[in-house]
Amino acid sequence: MAHEIYFEEIDVGYDMPTLVKGPIQKLQHVMYAGASGDFNPLHVDDDFAKAVGMPDGVIAHGMLIMGFVGQAITAWVPKKNLKKFGVRFAGMTKPGNTITVSGKVIEKNQDNGLNLITCEVIAQDENGDVKVSGSFQAALPSKVQKS
Amino acid sequence: MADKSKVGTQYPPIVWEVERGKIKEMVRAIGDDNPIFQDKQAAIAEGYQDSPASPTFLTVPAMWSAGLASIVMDLNINVAMVLHGEEEYEYYQEIYPGDIITGSTKVLDIEEKTTRSGSKMDLVTTEIIYQNQRGEKVARAKTVIVERK
Repeated sequence: MAHEIYFEEIDVGYDMPTLVKGPIQKLQHVMYAGASGDFNPLHVDDDFAKAVGMPDGVIAHGMLIMGFVGQAITAWVPKKNLKKFGVRFAGMTKPGNTITVSGKVIEKNQDNGLNLITCEVIAQDENGDVKVSGSFQAALPSKVQKS
Repeated sequence: MADKSKVGTQYPPIVWEVERGKIKEMVRAIGDDNPIFQDKQAAIAEGYQDSPASPTFLTVPAMWSAGLASIVMDLNINVAMVLHGEEEYEYYQEIYPGDIITGSTKVLDIEEKTTRSGSKMDLVTTEIIYQNQRGEKVARAKTVIVERK
């Protein structure tokens, strides 16, 4: 659970806590399809996936992996402080992959009364292959009382 | 290939009632055990009015409304060749159970790119700005769809 973190405590270069997910099972693809409403058979039907050129069958929804990254972020920074979160889908995730989410603070600035941190985030499998890369911005409370 | 004359097109709005059960279902599918998304009291204890929607919840109205599928058809995109390229959210307010959120998809850009290996693809960028039932802006979702050619 995310506890309050303060702007003064976080410096550029700070590593956010890593999150390890998996190994991913096909069952999770089915759960994510039902929850999200993305019923593309590429994610749940091995025969279909092979027919459209995936030699090993189904691949995970990209948004599931973005969901892992969102979990990692909001386990560290409270959801209410999250202002912006964006990713690029860089690689396909297969059943059996274990995904590690990590990130680092790359910028700190104050803008319009907000104490903002920008972090880069990345999700990689057990071989280090990048599945998702992106960044997020959060507004943190300050220990210093505003005048 | 994607129909470039459609840049600027705005589609009929998605109207979506946010259910508590769907917020739970999404975090359970992800395996996110943060109690704020499933336990109203835990959320209140951390300064929320109720269990907020998780960071990627807005994929739910976009997918369940079939909005994306109809846009893919309208733009004449080959569904079998579609990949999700990018997704970005800006958050202005929390989304809570019982909220009715509304947003219409707008085509911001259609661009052809050539990869290093020489294959061509179209990048279609869309945006949805969501409002709640009080007319307050809650979030912006920007999506890049890739059509391989």
